[in-house]
This record gives sequence, C-alpha cells and structure tokens, in this order.
Amino acid sequence: MTMFQIESLCKSFPTSKGSIGVIEDLSLNLVEGEFLCIVGPSGCGKTTLLKCMCGLEKPTSGTLLIKGSPPNPQIQKFGVIFQEDSLLPWRTVLGNVMFAQEICRAHSEETAKKYISLVGLQGFEVYYPYQISGGMKKRVAIARALAVDPDIIIMDEPFADLDAQTRWILQKELLSIWSTLKKTVIFITHNVEEAVFLGQRIAILTKRPAKLKALINVDLPYPRSSLSTPFISYREKIIGLLADEIPSIQQEAEK
Amino acid sequence: MPGPLPVWQAFIKISTVGDLNGYTLADHAAASLHRVPLGFIAGSLLAIPLGILTGIRSVARAAATPILEPMRFIPPIAWIPLAMILLSGLGRYVFLIGIGVFFPVLLNTMAGVRRTSPTLINVARTFGASTGSVIRKIIFPSALPEILTALRVGMGIGWMCIVAAEMIGGAPVGLGTLILEYSNYLQINVVIAGMITIGMIGLAINYSMLWLENRILRWRVEINVGG
Repeated sequence: MTMFQIESLCKSFPTSKGSIGVIEDLSLNLVEGEFLCIVGPSGCGKTTLLKCMCGLEKPTSGTLLIKGSPPNPQIQKFGVIFQEDSLLPWRTVLGNVMFAQEICRAHSEETAKKYISLVGLQGFEVYYPYQISGGMKKRVAIARALAVDPDIIIMDEPFADLDAQTRWILQKELLSIWSTLKKTVIFITHNVEEAVFLGQRIAILTKRPAKLKALINVDLPYPRSSLSTPFISYREKIIGLLADEIPSIQQEAEK
Repeated sequence: MPGPLPVWQAFIKISTVGDLNGYTLADHAAASLHRVPLGFIAGSLLAIPLGILTGIRSVARAAATPILEPMRFIPPIAWIPLAMILLSGLGRYVFLIGIGVFFPVLLNTMAGVRRTSPTLINVARTFGASTGSVIRKIIFPSALPEILTALRVGMGIGWMCIVAAEMIGGAPVGLGTLILEYSNYLQINVVIAGMITIGMIGLAINYSMLWLENRILRWRVEINVGG
C-alpha cells in the first residue's frame, strides 16, 4: 500500500533577491513498511524536504500525500528524529518520552518505559539529558518517536554528530527495531555507506534545487556487510552519481 | 561616625524598647515587608505574559518597543511623586514595587523566549502540538531560568524602591521611615542600624530566592551561582 505519494513537488522561499527554489519537480512514492534513504549533496534541500513531509512547511506547488491526505501532524502521527540535540533539557529521560505522548494525548508511563527498554536505556529513566552521552540522547529521541506509535518515522541525519562506533551500533539497532515494528522509515543522510547499509531503496537528490537524480533498489539481504563486493559496488555507484552534483569551488564562488 | 558598638547598642534598643512612637525594629521591618508581595505579584503577572507575547510575536514586539523602551530608563524612584499624587495607602507601594519588578521581568522573559531552540519547537510541532502547548511545554520552561533570575533581580529592585517610597511618602511605620526620622534627630547610630537591617533583609530575600531557583532548575548543569 502506498504510504507517501510525492508528485512534482516544488518548494521555494521568497528572499529580497527574488525567490530561491529549494525543491524542484520532485516525485517519489513510498510503500508502507519501507526503509528509504535519501542522500544528496549538503545544502541540497534535504531538510526542507523533511519539513514538507511532516507538515512543517507547505509545498509551493505539487502534491504530497500520506495515505491520500496532505501531511498534518495533528492528523497523522510522525516520529521525527533531528540531527541536533532535540531533548527537552528540563525533562528526564522518562519525561522526554512522555512529552510526545502528552501532546498526542496517549499518556502511558508503561508504554514509555517499554520503548525506553527497547532502546536499551532501562535504569536511566530519571536521568536528565546533561547526565547522559550523545548516543544515549539519540536513543531517547528514538524511543520518544516510537512511543507515539507513529505512522511514519523520519530521521534527519540522526547519527551525523556521533562517533563512528556509536553510529554503527545505533544503525544496527535501528534496523532491528525496524524489522520488529514494521514502520515506514525515511532516513536522510549525506553518508553513502550509511545509506547502503540501511536502505531498501536509496533516493539520490541533485544539488539545489533538489530533483530526484536516481532511485536505487539495494538488493542485498540484511544484515549487510560493508566489506562485501556488491555493497562496495552499490557504494561506488552512488558516490559516482553524487560526484556530478557536488558544486565546484568555482561555481560556489560565483554565487 | 559611630563605631560598631554604639550601632549595636542602638540596634538592641530599637529591637527591644522600640522607637519614640513605641514601634520596634521588627514592627518597621514587618511593615516594609508586608508592602512587597502584592506589588511583586502584580508586576510579575503583568510582565511574564507580556514578555512571552512580545517574545513570540514580532508584531507585538514592534508595537510595545517604542512605548516600553523609554519607560525602562525612568528609575523607579522617579515614579514616586506620581504614585503619591494618584494613589493612596498600600496602592502606592504596590504600584512602585510593581514598576520595579515589571521591567527586568519583562525584558528577561522576552529574551528567554527568543532564545528558545527552534529545534525543540519543531519537535513539539511534528508531534502535533498546538501553539498553546508549544508555549506551555516548550517556550515557558525554556525561558524559566531567565524569568526566575529576573524575578530575583526585580525583587531586589522592589525592596530598594519600598524603602525609598517610605522615606518620601511619609508612611507612619517602615524601615525607610525609621531612618528618615532618626536622621532628623541626628541619631546616626539608629540610622546605621536601620540601614544594616535593610541590607540584611535584602540579602535574606535574595538568597532564599536563589535557593528556590536552584531547586526548580535542578536540570541545569551550570547551576551553583553562589550560595
């Protein structure tokens, strides 16, 4: 069943020098339960796309439908995980997970604790964010997103700020959570290896204004090894596609 | 200038026997203290919502700035004559303390609100939060450290205003009145004893508010601002 239907999506922002197109004529479909990775050169509009997907920004033109209706966080449930630290510093781990539930009016300490355990943080319920590590904060953010039983999980470079080891552990755990809960996941990253490791499909975006450059089916069973020959060939193929999109220093200077 | 001993003796005498009208130091202190809370609450209750509104809505900020910005530079003491003419009794003091508290609380609330992390607001929005819940659950707690600091600073200003107001307003009893009265009799010992009492009470108020602040803001790493 189609979960996300994006057709000829355009998004531009007005500025003093006229409008700047960030997304241009982007079309993409997602089926329910799919794990899709989106990669693109930095500054290409990935985060704007995310904001359109969860209803924080309205598209300038084109359609963007979730199960037939436009995204609205008061109708569909989104579990969004941001790149930056997004925990409420004045709430404990448990309080942060329950915060999302309070807003969705699905208050349940039991459910909150269940998801805290799922991300491996049982025993840390009463800790404040400043008392736990960066990797643990990301786990809390994941538990918080899952605790509202979201229709769709959207992750915006969630592991970009973490060290390589923590990142690798969290990637594996994310896959195991995904295969257990069967949620639709959209995972935005600029890290090609991460995308090949995680995604069933990978959408490659062009530089700004973002269009869909290629959509690649990663036909590899999980768990994937980054050392296998097919993994490397997928990686090289995507890096090759992206290389055309990285603006040269010359072009950057002219802007 | 009198030494510490005569001041101490004056302090004891005023505390036990009382002044020429029979009021003890405790009576004066109680009279001054009793004038503070209403003004403090009134000033804060006006300033905090206005600070939140001007913090989140640039239109409100643009409308309020030309009115409030010049008023901020009028020292609370300069409001005393107006308060004397327009108001009477406790109302004068409520007004003056309210003025003292209002501006620091307003400006700090506004600054605190504007410093709220946009990511946290987006988190709440993606979970479907209404503007009301964003204010209650994100913006207010995020601005709370600034608001509490401002309340403490405002309280200090309010306490200073009250003493000044008593001196000018001719209240029958109060620490300001005590000092002024005894300066007329040239009894410096009592004047200094009264001044020290004002300072000590101010200090006690400040530290109890600081203690409360640190308790409420346990989630902050960088607490421990003395005390």
